[in-house]
Amino acid sequence: MSNDHDHDHDHGHGHKPPAPMVEEISDFEALEIAVRELAIEKGLFTAEDHRRFTEFAEHIGPTPAARMVAKAWLDPEYKKLCLTDAIKASFAVGVDWLNPTGFGTPSDYTDLRVLEDTPTMHHVVVCTLCSCYPRPILGFQPEWYRTPNYRRRLVRWPRQVLAEFGLTLPPEVEVRVEDSNQKCRFIVMPVRPAGTEGWTEDQLTEIVTRDCLIGVALPKPGMTTNIPLPVHKPAKPAHH
Amino acid sequence: MSQHDRTHHAKIATGKGDPQCFKGTAGPAKFKVGDRVRIKNLPDIFYTRCQVYTRGAIGEVAVVTHESPAPEDEAWGHVDQSEWFYIVRFKQKDLWPEYPANFANDTLQTEFSERWLESV
Amino acid sequence: MTEAAKPGAARTEWTPVPLLEEIKEHGRVWEDLANQYGVTNPDPPWKTSLDGMCEALGTTSCSPAMAVEKRWLDGSIDRKDVGGAVPLPLLERRWEEDELSETLYQDVPFPERQLLALTHSLIKRGLVSEEDLAQRMKQVHARLTAE
Repeated sequence: MSNDHDHDHDHGHGHKPPAPMVEEISDFEALEIAVRELAIEKGLFTAEDHRRFTEFAEHIGPTPAARMVAKAWLDPEYKKLCLTDAIKASFAVGVDWLNPTGFGTPSDYTDLRVLEDTPTMHHVVVCTLCSCYPRPILGFQPEWYRTPNYRRRLVRWPRQVLAEFGLTLPPEVEVRVEDSNQKCRFIVMPVRPAGTEGWTEDQLTEIVTRDCLIGVALPKPGMTTNIPLPVHKPAKPAHH
Repeated sequence: MSQHDRTHHAKIATGKGDPQCFKGTAGPAKFKVGDRVRIKNLPDIFYTRCQVYTRGAIGEVAVVTHESPAPEDEAWGHVDQSEWFYIVRFKQKDLWPEYPANFANDTLQTEFSERWLESV
Repeated sequence: MTEAAKPGAARTEWTPVPLLEEIKEHGRVWEDLANQYGVTNPDPPWKTSLDGMCEALGTTSCSPAMAVEKRWLDGSIDRKDVGGAVPLPLLERRWEEDELSETLYQDVPFPERQLLALTHSLIKRGLVSEEDLAQRMKQVHARLTAE
């Protein structure tokens, strides 16, 4: 399915200076390459396997899920599709859940569900058993998502955990935790915030951050980045 | 590199996806949206994805999701017998006795295969 | 699911690997480099490649293969029965990464620490040797900085 948004806004504005780059090879960079080359030579995986998975990892960097939400805010018909067949709705934001393997990625099942927030209900997603996450449309899990701290505490003390992310909700808003423990994968569709009247899809996409899609933050005009979370060490770690 | 997971998926799920590849294999669903159900406390000596914190709790079917072999069987490579899966909604206070009373509306949803549910 | 205990219960004694200790002490982490060069990308350029490598080495996330691994972790089957051809099962790597992140590599930021932990896990299993790695790193440095 084609994506007909206007991405060539920089054309005709002359050359920009190249973005700065790190001009030295760190030991870590060399280590990553060295480990990979030796692993390939020893047949632990093939260069083709590695390239395929890396391409996948890079492809899913920015979140197509953000655009899905922005589109749904603007188009009630598309919103309906998101809520009834999110796998089909994913095509409109460039995501085919059967890629890259033809049957899904090695880890991701292909049943996406969109959880629609309302002014009186807020969803937040966790996987208490491991770290199930809708990767094709949301990228890799943030590190905190797979910590025992988040997994163990969110189901039981959701408001406490959300407060640590800076999200405090009044008692009249129902907090609904979704524990993603089987083959369904989830994203949250937050309520479109005030102050975004007349915005374009691109503008709206920018404020639907990954954290909003997991449900640990709410979109706000002007907020386009995720919140760094201090990682608390569990007192009694669970080993997955 | 052969991995049983990929082989399993490649054979049955190519072009369809998983759980779509199990569609139509579980027969009629026993529960429908709105049904009240109790989570059974079955033994889980080998493997399960049914959380301990839901055992014995009563909730309401929120979504009838899909058909798939249960993870208890799939973990052993048995994919012949499918079941219906259900997202069940619980009141938080029914899961955690100490859940604060001023947040009595808070809920939690999670998913079960049919074998874990009984009518109330 | 009940919390799976690692076979052997007690925490592993991790033996430092001299090469990795050297990198830990003297390697420049992405945060420093990015600050120095004015780069705003939060992740180093090798991060997705590292992720690709972890994917390629084991199976990932909540798959049936992982379920088999869990049965090993809770002691119901032997290690040798875990997914034969998977060189480094995902849960095993993660479990080791979690432990190493709290011990040997606790002062190293992410994702540098993920890379050190992965390498440590591979060396520990004899899947790559420390000597080969030291040698290869020199070659890589030479190749990447060739005039």
